[in-house]
Amino acid sequence: MRAWLWILLVVALGGLFFWGMQRNPKELPSVLAKERRPAPDFTLPVLLPYRAEWGETFRLSDHLGKRPIVLNFWASWCYPACYEEAPVLEAAWRAYKDRVLFLGVNTQDKEAEALKFIAQFGLTFPQVFDPRGRVGVDYGMYGVPETFFIDGEGRVLARHAGAIDQATLEKYLKEALP
Amino acid sequence: MRWVLFLALFFLPALGQAEPPPDLSPEVFRIARELRCPVCQGESAAESNSGVAVEMRRIIAEMLQEGKTEEEIKAFFVDRYGEWILYSPPRRGVTLWAWVLPGVALFLLAWGLFAYFRPRKVPKELLEEAERRLKEPPA
Repeated sequence: MRAWLWILLVVALGGLFFWGMQRNPKELPSVLAKERRPAPDFTLPVLLPYRAEWGETFRLSDHLGKRPIVLNFWASWCYPACYEEAPVLEAAWRAYKDRVLFLGVNTQDKEAEALKFIAQFGLTFPQVFDPRGRVGVDYGMYGVPETFFIDGEGRVLARHAGAIDQATLEKYLKEALP
Repeated sequence: MRWVLFLALFFLPALGQAEPPPDLSPEVFRIARELRCPVCQGESAAESNSGVAVEMRRIIAEMLQEGKTEEEIKAFFVDRYGEWILYSPPRRGVTLWAWVLPGVALFLLAWGLFAYFRPRKVPKELLEEAERRLKEPPA
């Protein structure tokens, strides 16, 4: 009887360790996406090339609940990931611009560097400037790049950490579009 | 004179190591030490100089100025990052085990040691047998 108890204890501990080894320590769930929370609002200055079309400042709540939004946090110092995904985002924006709003949030960066990055990739979707990175904290951001998908009701649907590829982007866009 | 030189040599490195005073109050760093830096592995928001950690310290300083309590500040970050952001796991739910198990393990160890080294009662028959053998004349 006692021997069985010991065997059971060893098996239970072994099972616990094995389960622990299977877990991904880098996996960081997004609180917003898990609970489908309404996207946190913010008002940020629009970067110079986009002011003619979008105005001086951009308030997210003016655009929530109308159509899905792709919110992309990036910085010019984030190499190579931000450089890999920029053309992917631009291509997707051009394909979906009548149904989905793409918004770039330049985070903890210098304005001149950000403008250089924008020119390098010819980004045409609106870009706002958050040198402090305050909005990133509201979104529970770990690092750049991170892309948030906000559905048509203005709720956070998913968060993708790291450079996003076309297949992943399309998958989330299909989820967000009714 | 030689002593002055010696002392100077002794204290100069210390002068070189003196850090500039941080621009935020010690209270900010005390709270930041209990929060993880989201970007870096194994650094608190007090030690890291990554953009997010710097911004976290700034937010803590601002919230303290608004008269927020430490609990409210921690709740602000937990609300955004989940309980992962806290260095000490909360004493409830699943993470309660992290607090309870060490105590349980210590108790089991003590109990096991006690049980192992406890003077055992020798059965009566054995004692009688020993007595009898002692009394027997050696063959």
